[in-house]
Amino acid sequence: MKRNTPLITLLVGAALGVVLLVASMLTTPSSALPNYSAAAASSAAPASSAAPAESSEAPEPAESSVAASAPAAAPSPAPTRTTPTADFTGRVGGGGGSVAVAVHGDKAIAYVCNGSTVEGWMRGKVEGDKLVLTGKNQTHLTASYHAGKVTGDVEAHGTDYSFSVPTVSKSSSKSSGLYQATAVVQGKTIKAGWIVLGDGTQVGSVEIGESGEKAVTAPKLDVATMTARIGNVVLHAVPVSGVTGSGF
Amino acid sequence: MTAPPTQPIPLPRKPAASTASLLIVPSLIGALVALALGIYGRVHSPTGIAINIAGFSSPGTVKSWLATGATVFAIVQVGSALVMYGKVPRVTAPEWIGGLHRWSGRIAFLLAVPVAIHCLYALGFQQYSTRVLIHSVVGCLFFGAFTVKMLILPKRGLPGWVLPVVGAVVFTLLVVIWLTSAYWFFSTFGIKR
Repeated sequence: MKRNTPLITLLVGAALGVVLLVASMLTTPSSALPNYSAAAASSAAPASSAAPAESSEAPEPAESSVAASAPAAAPSPAPTRTTPTADFTGRVGGGGGSVAVAVHGDKAIAYVCNGSTVEGWMRGKVEGDKLVLTGKNQTHLTASYHAGKVTGDVEAHGTDYSFSVPTVSKSSSKSSGLYQATAVVQGKTIKAGWIVLGDGTQVGSVEIGESGEKAVTAPKLDVATMTARIGNVVLHAVPVSGVTGSGF
Repeated sequence: MTAPPTQPIPLPRKPAASTASLLIVPSLIGALVALALGIYGRVHSPTGIAINIAGFSSPGTVKSWLATGATVFAIVQVGSALVMYGKVPRVTAPEWIGGLHRWSGRIAFLLAVPVAIHCLYALGFQQYSTRVLIHSVVGCLFFGAFTVKMLILPKRGLPGWVLPVVGAVVFTLLVVIWLTSAYWFFSTFGIKR
């Protein structure tokens, strides 16, 4: 009996691992929110049945008349003074998702995405080197930005990420950056977002409906053609860039 | 991680086996464990989320604190092992030192398991930076090495250097894991809960 205790240790550890793995698998498809305690404001009724229903519905073939509409980039009066412009992309701390920040003059747009149900768009003002951006469903980001780097915290769908991400390097990858596409599919407005990193990896999610509460994994964005397909609907992505002003 | 059940069979058959033959089966099982974790982490598509522990602000902080806890208990492991082997001058091993060594090891291992599961399930085996690549490789190796250590512990007839060497390898791997994860996390984002 005594001789087997190391084996018991090993098996207990293995059993714990299996239990956690199974628990994780059970958590993942049913709800966007694992059991985050304090931050999750709306944890009272986890919409475990609603979320998968949406996700299975979205990729269905829709009528072909649907037009993917790129948001009209409002031609803003060209500022005469030099305004700070920069684009940042990178993985959040822990690597569970990516964040992109575009700074254009005194405005900024950010997107955080884990390639699945946790994602959110934010807009806001630049004050000095501080960014305070907010979005739907209490999605918010606070950060400070410096030459070549933006560092801060972002919370979306009750999940809090820390990040410290560099500016987009156009030399490493031409397509690196933040992209969005909106369309109406079967009467529902959807908004897709993708973050493409310097090494070519991308994450993307699709918000279904105006509320932005529900999101599913986005189809892969073909960076050569800037298109992605949901069923037989073609989404046309447009860059969101502080440097070019696109998407602002 | 489900491989071990078949291993105790060779034990009674060869009471006076050579060092190599005593080590080969545990080493192979350990290698399989490391390989299995790596392949799972590589093939499985990372989900980005997994179950989380309440009271922390993000998965990153939970994992960093658990990993730090495991590393602290691992330091207790090295200290208690040194005492047991009489390597600390003027300290004779108290009789509870064996219990301390066993329990600190068990706690360290059990703290590390949830971290590893989150890594494997939510993040996967990644190689987008040197730190991440080292962490992924060493993370797999650690559980393989730990398996070897547990499997050879009850074996009789091993030379005296084997357990300290394997123990040192396990400890070193854990410290590398901690440096490439929790230390990086805390030094990048600050020490927070």
